[in-house]
Amino acid sequence: MRELEVLIQLGVPAALLLLAYFTGSFVERRHYASIRLRETRVRKFPLLAFREVPAGWEVTESALMTGTVVVSLDHFKRFLANLRNLVGGRVTAYESLLDRARREAMLRLQESAFERGYRAIVNLRLETYQITGGGDAPGTGVEVLAYGTALKLARRPGADA
Amino acid sequence: MQWSPRAPRDDVNVSRTHPLSEAATLFGGIALVLVAVVALAWAVVEVAVRWMPYDLEARLFSGLRPAWTVADSGAEDAALTAERRAALQTLLDRLVARWPERPFALEVGIVAGDEPNAVALPGGAVLVTEGLLAQSGSENEIAFVLAHEIGHFRNRDHLRGLGRAALVGLVLTAVGIGDATAAAFSQPFVVLAGRGFDRTQESDADRFALGLVAAEYGHAAGAAEFFRRLPDAEAGVAIRVAGWVSTHPVSADRIAALDAAAREAGIATQGPVTPLPAPLARE
Repeated sequence: MRELEVLIQLGVPAALLLLAYFTGSFVERRHYASIRLRETRVRKFPLLAFREVPAGWEVTESALMTGTVVVSLDHFKRFLANLRNLVGGRVTAYESLLDRARREAMLRLQESAFERGYRAIVNLRLETYQITGGGDAPGTGVEVLAYGTALKLARRPGADA
Repeated sequence: MQWSPRAPRDDVNVSRTHPLSEAATLFGGIALVLVAVVALAWAVVEVAVRWMPYDLEARLFSGLRPAWTVADSGAEDAALTAERRAALQTLLDRLVARWPERPFALEVGIVAGDEPNAVALPGGAVLVTEGLLAQSGSENEIAFVLAHEIGHFRNRDHLRGLGRAALVGLVLTAVGIGDATAAAFSQPFVVLAGRGFDRTQESDADRFALGLVAAEYGHAAGAAEFFRRLPDAEAGVAIRVAGWVSTHPVSADRIAALDAAAREAGIATQGPVTPLPAPLARE
């Protein structure tokens, strides 16, 4: 049956796309909720891009600290980005993906530093890598690495406690 | 230096465009462009087909002919197949003789396959399936099918088909580079877009075939017989849809169109039917 064939040819990819859209946006919403909650928790933890320790800070100990995350693409985002590839322009589908990855990596950096007794991070750097499927396979996601110098402080001007 | 904590902003790095509206815009726009490109390709092919001289066609595709006309039916009864092919060729030659403007000789070949089908290939090869021969009840029926394929050569539909397939293939490949899903979406649209044209071609070839068989036999009896046999196999829930989706008009429509065309041309639809040539007759 020709019409059934056409229906399957169109219907199956469309259903998979829609499913990917729903799972993808559910996961994204949940991730953003977690990011916003944790960002309010760590908002008093200084995360600075300065290469130097700010004047007046008394450092007792320092260490290299990293926070890294890998976020997967979903089928819908990849489809959208591929359509966008044909015409050019902003790949909005990937913006939220990268935004989540950057913020999650910085959160993990802050959280792990805090757990180890550090109270600030300077010289923050961010790196982004594409995770490929190997060879010509489509990309599967992005890794964002946040790293910096974590400091234990004896004194910090302006700190609440 | 004083460091003052601030709530992070999360509204600048992510566009507010809704993913679904983005998808709709992109998909709609690209579909429009695809349709335009296909329409352009159609027009280019139409011009090229009219312009291409017959001898150039024969020269371009002569390489195809031997390969396509070799009968391949399992090889254990190669002699019988050769005999059947020869009988078909005789019939084809008789019909082609009724077309004075024929540009080159046509050759017939038999291919495996249970589905009744026939095809005209560039360069002058006509292929019929084993299934078509098995389901034919008289020489007139096969003659009509062969004449229909000759009609495709006259109207140069085989070139059209090839040209479109090549150009559409190019477009699809260009889309497919981006994404397999995008290619899967575009293919049915492109194929469906071609159907309307194809059906006109089939009806034109039918009318030409009517003239040929009438010239050969003096009447068109048996022409529609073949299609009368098909509805059983085609009877389905969505026969109306099938009529639009499939290349060939559904049998019922086709029979009615044939009868009307015969009436219009003053061709008798009744007359003595010639039995199948000996090698083609079923045991």
